[in-house]
Amino acid sequence: MLLTVKDLTKKFNHKIVVNNINLSINQGDLVAFLGPNGAGKSTTINMLTGIIPPTTGIIKLDGLQPSSTQYHQKIGVVFQNSVLDNELTVKENLLSRQKMYRNSVDKLDDWIDKFALQSILNQKYGVLSGGQKRRVDIVRALIHDPELLFLDEPTTGLDIQTRKLIWKVLSDLRKETKLTIVLTTHYLEEAELADFVYVIDHGQVIAADTVNNLKQNFAQDVLTIYPSDMMKISQILSDYKYQIDGQQVAIFVQQYQAIDLLNKLKPVINSFEYRRGNMDDIFLNLTGKGVE
Amino acid sequence: MKGLITRNLRLFFASKSGIFFSLMGALISFVLYLVFLKQMMTQNWQSVPDSKNLLDLWLMGGTLTVTAITTTGNALGLMVKDRESNRLADLILTDQSYLKIHSAYLLSAWLVGIIMQLAMYLIMQAYFMIQDGIGFESSILLPLLVVMIFSSLIWSVFNMLLFSFVKKVDTLGKISTIIGTASGFFAGVYMPIGNLPNFAKWLMKLTPVPYDSAIFRQVMMKNQLNDSFKNAPTEIITKFKTEMGIVIGQNFNNDLKFMGLALVILAILVIILYRYNQRVVVNKV
Ligand SMILES: Nc1ncnc2c1ncn2[C@@H]1O[C@H](COP(=O)(O)OP(=O)(O)OP(=O)(O)O)[C@@H](O)[C@H]1O
Ligand SMILES: [Mg+2]
Repeated sequence: MLLTVKDLTKKFNHKIVVNNINLSINQGDLVAFLGPNGAGKSTTINMLTGIIPPTTGIIKLDGLQPSSTQYHQKIGVVFQNSVLDNELTVKENLLSRQKMYRNSVDKLDDWIDKFALQSILNQKYGVLSGGQKRRVDIVRALIHDPELLFLDEPTTGLDIQTRKLIWKVLSDLRKETKLTIVLTTHYLEEAELADFVYVIDHGQVIAADTVNNLKQNFAQDVLTIYPSDMMKISQILSDYKYQIDGQQVAIFVQQYQAIDLLNKLKPVINSFEYRRGNMDDIFLNLTGKGVE
Repeated sequence: MKGLITRNLRLFFASKSGIFFSLMGALISFVLYLVFLKQMMTQNWQSVPDSKNLLDLWLMGGTLTVTAITTTGNALGLMVKDRESNRLADLILTDQSYLKIHSAYLLSAWLVGIIMQLAMYLIMQAYFMIQDGIGFESSILLPLLVVMIFSSLIWSVFNMLLFSFVKKVDTLGKISTIIGTASGFFAGVYMPIGNLPNFAKWLMKLTPVPYDSAIFRQVMMKNQLNDSFKNAPTEIITKFKTEMGIVIGQNFNNDLKFMGLALVILAILVIILYRYNQRVVVNKV
């Protein structure tokens, strides 16, 4: 176990923001915190990175406490909001942060290459687009070659190309270096890449499982059909889990099976919809109410 | 620590408008003098030979004090900005300890103050050399530099103390405006201290500002004073010195002692507030 967290709680002026969270994170894993706005994800990350002290609870990384300097050596953090200097260029920013580490490894050129920063290296950080900033932020977080990388909503508001680039580089990195990644997100699709997901709501972990299990149990993909001939339907669907609701039938089926099924159903349906399971479903099923 | 200081200095010098506004107080006192104060005072001291040269040097002394106050304040504003924007959190995550980060703000402000005082001195000296033909005395350069270093230090410490309580950049702007305006009065550049009512004099003397001006003026005006008042009786010299704020507490040594004492008190307060500062800052994120 790389990181263990026991009974972590944070109160701000008697308001409980993080409530008794327990985590165990394996080396090399990609772990996602999934939760709506205000769930306490950033607060949790800030405690795990040692930036704010917990009200109660224990955090241990390889036996180290967040207050120690060695702890800081082992972690890299991408904050939800950009924290580099707007007035300096990308290069100046990165070099200045690099100098603030004692044993920084010189992989900077490598990172600049991988995250395609070459062309913006001499631009002021403040004038960059959101996606460009994010890429620089990630390089900043990797500058001292950490073992554990925290990313607070790394891809919110980014276009698809930038997301892909970021995910590609991060997964390459995981293969090469056994880097452990903890990220927060609002999107189930993003959590899909994770080995393990903690679903957080109102400061509490309401589910902790693999994405597949979560989806299986709480957020199934649904194929909805509008049959022209109800009679024949039940015959074709005998092997599937389904629900009839008036004129429509909801079938719980995975994407690739859905194609086969649709081929069989073709003669007897008027139309269909296919919807992937999402975070709303999980929350609806776990808490009985949707995301507020 | 070198990395931190380099960053802080870069950030100060990256903003041309920031530099300009931090010199605002000094520029106002300079321009004010040129436009009307100079004429008024030359008339007052008509009987003194070469009074123009004397007054030019007098103005430079006070303006350098204002420069030290406002530029170190502007540089230390970064401390408040870093807190509010969570940049401080990012810095704390590096190998630099909070003590180093905090000291780096102070040291960078100190350096900024020295550099800006030097720049301001060169500008004014060049102007008066061309305009009034005042001489360039190389013998005062070294003592002047020492005074600049000292004055930049004391105002860096002062501003650090003041900004310990400031959490918002918005508040910072307001405070800077007040300080920028007030420093000119306290340094006695908008009006010589002798022309002020007693209460104002008393108030000024409670702060280190007029002492700093006095020390600058004594170093810069020494030779010119000797020339101009060569044959004058001591009372006249003393009167001139007190009226113009060239000595505040009887003599140079007393003024120096007062400044030293002020520095010690300010420094102790900064050290006492260090823990408080750290707690507030880190909890806020
Ligand atoms: N310093 C603070 N003082 C008081 N309350 C705070 C503080 N920081 C956070 N909170 C509160 O704690 C709750 C959780 O905030 P947090 O930023 O951790 O949520 P989050 O899950 O990261 O949300 P988002 O998805 O919007 O980023 C919010 O209700 C917020 O108002
Ligand atoms: Mg957040």
